[in-house]
Amino acid sequence: MKAKDLMVPAQDVLRPDDTLLRAVTLLRTVREGEECVGIKGLAVLDETGKLIGILSVGDFIKTAFPFYMGMMDLGEFSWDGMVETLARKAGDKLVKDIMSSVVITVEENSPLMEVIDHMIKHKVKRLPVLSKEGKVVGMLYERDVFFAVTKAMLKEEGGAI
Amino acid sequence: MSPEAVDPIAINTTFWIATAIFVIAYGLIVSEKIHKTMIAIFGAALVIVLGVLEQREAFHIEEFGIDWNVIFLLISMMVIINIMRPTGVFEYIAIKSAKLGKGEPFKILAIFAVVTAVMSALLDNVTTVLLIAPVTLFIADALDVDPIPYLISNALASNIGGTATLIGDPPNIMIASKAKLEFMDFIYNLTPVIILVMVVYLIAIKFIWGKSLKTKDELKTRVMQMNENEAIKDPVLLKKSLFVLGVVIAGFVMHGALHLEPATIALFGAGLLLLLSGIHNPHHVLSEVEWSTIFFFMGLFIIIGGIVKVGLIEMASNGVLAITQGNMFATSMVVMWFSAFASAFVDNIPYVATMNPLIIDMAQKLWPDLSGLALLHKPELMPVWWSLALGACLGGNGTAIGASANVIVVGMAEKAGHKISFGKFMLYGMPIMILTVAVSTIYVWLRYYVLGI
Repeated sequence: MKAKDLMVPAQDVLRPDDTLLRAVTLLRTVREGEECVGIKGLAVLDETGKLIGILSVGDFIKTAFPFYMGMMDLGEFSWDGMVETLARKAGDKLVKDIMSSVVITVEENSPLMEVIDHMIKHKVKRLPVLSKEGKVVGMLYERDVFFAVTKAMLKEEGGAI
Repeated sequence: MSPEAVDPIAINTTFWIATAIFVIAYGLIVSEKIHKTMIAIFGAALVIVLGVLEQREAFHIEEFGIDWNVIFLLISMMVIINIMRPTGVFEYIAIKSAKLGKGEPFKILAIFAVVTAVMSALLDNVTTVLLIAPVTLFIADALDVDPIPYLISNALASNIGGTATLIGDPPNIMIASKAKLEFMDFIYNLTPVIILVMVVYLIAIKFIWGKSLKTKDELKTRVMQMNENEAIKDPVLLKKSLFVLGVVIAGFVMHGALHLEPATIALFGAGLLLLLSGIHNPHHVLSEVEWSTIFFFMGLFIIIGGIVKVGLIEMASNGVLAITQGNMFATSMVVMWFSAFASAFVDNIPYVATMNPLIIDMAQKLWPDLSGLALLHKPELMPVWWSLALGACLGGNGTAIGASANVIVVGMAEKAGHKISFGKFMLYGMPIMILTVAVSTIYVWLRYYVLGI
């Protein structure tokens, strides 16, 4: 099985200067339309169409998590409303401020094992799939790889969902 | 005796090689274009490759090579802190301090300054700031106050507190090792003046920030509702850690009587805590040692060893003697103020590493009949060591790049969305530096030159 057999074809993409408010609206509408797949990542492209980052659910959650909380164990001392205050402040930020700019990608003809190899070694749950020309053609999700693996385990026919 | 009477220094190729490596390495370190550790490692390697020092001298000879006392003391203290960190004790101390301030923004600022200073006297400054600053930002968010005064005060107080003891700040560790000074020497000579300096500092910040920090009553309850006891994650490990820390501090206090170096005491503590902690594999604890800092020290010692061997340091000490004419009070004052301004702009670690051999060389010229401890601890020389420590440590407060603690605090402020510019830091740091060095000047003058105690 190849990457292109499992990927979800690319639809909406983001620009680095989009506001988070636009991105979050897009992410949520896309998600509602693709509920069974569970869209969790949007590619960020520059003006030439080159992939420069990826924005995922986790990146949004991190906007409400101040970096200093990661340095010490302070979670249990936080107060009611802390997350909401920080999230409100983060609304004016831009996609480029919070996106993950180191992106691991696969080609559409990459074998499934290469996909799993990247997911495990780089601890990512989603991989943008590129065409030979380097354009983003789709997104691969851990969940779909899970289905491919478990189908084989249950001796069902392989293939995309 | 006059400087002309000493053996002439051979100005040969080796002299120029050692000098060039030293000057270029320091220039690159100051420019911050390349990471200082990489410069130090490569410079040290060049010193040996180009034949300034033999490998044996660089690795094994105290006068020219790596000061293993400093290295093992630093590594061992880092290991102890790395094991203690997950117990939650540092979160406990910080939350408890904030509650002691009853949610009053200035009271919390002052209490954090005192806690930071005390912690910093026992741990190194960078560690202290990394443990206190995150909680500082957290409390500032809780009270909805500007975090900048708290962050700047964290750095300033850690540099002040670190001056108080042998283990508080790397310059003191280096001075103690070279001058063969004991932990209690620092307690008798530096701790009193640092307590005084802290009092002056608290009065100063009352004037600077006393009126501007305000919060609402309902936000104070956020702080008062925090339960510091929840911070303790591993009470068993905490008890073991506190036991070992107690042993280590008692060991430092008595190391002179025990005829053990501070590095031995710290190494014993690190080994004991590793065994007691129940950790199966020490890999994680050891990997968190700041190896980059450790290798910076090692490289630096070798580069300095090179210029000591070729006589550059001796030339510099002749120059200082020519200026001060052997007047020890003048020497103390020049050393203190020059060190303060030098440390405000360049890393005080390479600075002190250079000054130590210079002072020893100067002493050898002034008292050629003495050697060993009789020379290093000559009563006339002692105030010079203390002036070096006070100047180099307190000088770090002068600018945003004067001390590692400042660099960390400025970085954290920027990450939190509150930029502290070089000028803004200096606006607070420089007056505080001048004030605290002035207090130290009066102390050194009164204690060693007027009262003679």
